[in-house]
This record gives sequence, C-alpha cells and structure tokens, in this order.
Amino acid sequence: MSERRLMLLHYVTGLGILVTGAVHLWVVFFTVPLDQTIWETTMLFDGHQFAIMSVYRNALLASTLWLLLVFTTFHAMNGIRVILMELIPNERVMRVAKWALIALGVFLVVYGTRTILIAYNIR
Amino acid sequence: MEGKVVFTVFRHDPSAGARPRYVSYEVPYRSGMTVLDGLLYIKERIDHTLAIRYSCRMGICGSCGVKVNGLPRLACFTQVSELGRSIKVEPLPNHPLVRDLVTDFSTFFAKHKSVKPWLIRKDVEEQENPTGQYLQSDAELERYIQFSYCISCGLCYSACPVVTALPEFPGPQALAWLYRFYVDSRDHGGRERLEILDRATGIWRCHFAGSCSQVCPKGVDPALAIQLLRRALIRG
Repeated sequence: MSERRLMLLHYVTGLGILVTGAVHLWVVFFTVPLDQTIWETTMLFDGHQFAIMSVYRNALLASTLWLLLVFTTFHAMNGIRVILMELIPNERVMRVAKWALIALGVFLVVYGTRTILIAYNIR
Repeated sequence: MEGKVVFTVFRHDPSAGARPRYVSYEVPYRSGMTVLDGLLYIKERIDHTLAIRYSCRMGICGSCGVKVNGLPRLACFTQVSELGRSIKVEPLPNHPLVRDLVTDFSTFFAKHKSVKPWLIRKDVEEQENPTGQYLQSDAELERYIQFSYCISCGLCYSACPVVTALPEFPGPQALAWLYRFYVDSRDHGGRERLEILDRATGIWRCHFAGSCSQVCPKGVDPALAIQLLRRALIRG
C-alpha cells in the first residue's frame, strides 16, 4: 500500500476514533445508571444482569464498538510504525517491524472481535 | 552600543582529530556591524585559521549560514546590535562539518536535485526551440512566487527536527522547491513530481514544527508548501 493511502487511512481512522469513541462514551456514561457502569460491573458482578450489558447486546452499538476497535488498532499500529521509523531509521528493522505490527494488529482485532461477540451473545 | 563584543566561536577540524572547542574573541563594535563582519574581523586581525564561508555579503547567495545564539541565521543578514554583547557562533546543524563554521552541503543539494527543480514539459521540442513565450497571469504567478524567493541557504534544513531524526527526509527546502514547480502553470510534471514524495521517508514524515518557516531569511514558508503538497497528494 502506498504511503499516501496509509496516511489517508491514518487520518480517516483518527476521525473515526473521535466519532465512535464519543458514541461509545456517551452510551456508557449517559444511558446507563452510574452504579451499573462497567467499573461497577467488574467489581460487583455476581450473576446479576447489569444494565451496561444491554449496551453490548445492541447490534448497532456493538458494531460501533467493533469499528472503534478496528480504527484504534490501525491508528495505533501505523502510529507506532511512524515512530519506529524515526527512532530506528533502518530498512531491515522496519521490514521486520512492519510484519510484527501487522500480526499484532490482526491479533488485537481478532481477540477484540471475539470479546465483543461473547458480550453480544450473553443472555 | 559601544565597546567590544565577545564572539564565542565553535572550532573543530575533524580531519586533524582534535576535540571540538569554543574560542572567545573580542571584537570592537561599530554601527551597522553584522555577524559576518565580526567573523571577518577575527579572521583578518586575530586568527586567520578560522574557516568561514561567504560570498555576496548581502543576503542573496545564501553561503554564510551559521547558528547564531542557537538559531540558524545568515551571518551577513544578522545585525550584532540585535544580539547583545555576547554572540555564540556555531556551524549549521544537520549538515556534516567540514571545518569550524563550514559545513558540507552535498546531501542537501542532492536532495534538492532529487525533486527535479526545473520545468518539466511534454513538448520537449518546443522547450528546446521555443516559438513564443510561456505567458502567465498574475494569479498563476501568485501561486508560486513566494517559494521562488528561496536562495537555498540551508537554514530551514538545519532547523528541521525531522531531518535530524530521519536523514532520508527530503527537508523543507527541497519540498518547497518541488511545490514551486508543481503549481507552476508552465510545468507538466504534476503526477511525476508527487510520486517523488509519496514514500515512507517522504513528505508524510513532516511533524509540522514550523521551524523551517520561522528561520527563513527570505520570508519563504516551506511549512505551507508541505501542507499544500499533502493536500495535493490526498486529492490524488
């Protein structure tokens, strides 16, 4: 992929993170009672159904969360690539780093998708 | 301002193997004195082994770029009166050192050449044997005129933090020149020119620190050229 396309995607995903991140935070903080947010759920979960889980079982919101995951992963991996390029300006190192970052990005997306699907399927 | 000014000058000869050092010289101040005048006074009256490079003495040739009190400047274009009584003069960063205040511009000019800083025409025959003038409107001239004021003094290049971190980065001077020809209505190089930039160590690595535009003695704004080139690349 050309550098132009990579950087265009970098900008687009940056904006995407702002939009999907804002939707996610708004839903989590303003549509769910504060005592049933994810932190409370983590600490107090004892088999009860908390309202926060409804967020993750909504197809539209789960899709938004997945988009946030994909945008953040791409943006972060490409950002690390750019930083590494200036820290270690070595073609061979960068070739290895590129594939390592692609592998890490794929792993993060697959693992995150799995988590979102598990939350989506909880009844 | 009366009396003497102290010039603290970087001295080093890499070929001699000695360690770099700073040497202080007292120079009598006179009205209208530039940093280059002070350096020439040192070379003529105090220490003739001091290596400096200069030519026109009037801010046109771009030969006498040095770091003055921490900022890249043209020595001939910098008044001593605006600096105070203590002046530190060092070679330009980001250019390999030859000796004392003289730096090697080979890489800088190679990058300059790599962006094809000349008119590229499809009608080669017409270019070789022109039958008329290439007329331009005021608006067409306005698009590139400020970038054509560049004298290739290398100050922007030495101020660029990206060149320091990533030596393959073309640098603000080369990119401003590329933009100057890219928007010239007489040029047919459009796509070919943009392809030169679109690589991992190319234009996208600019952090937009803006120091290139800040230090330019001719008022050129390379940072603007870089942003406009990015826009052109994004629009394809």
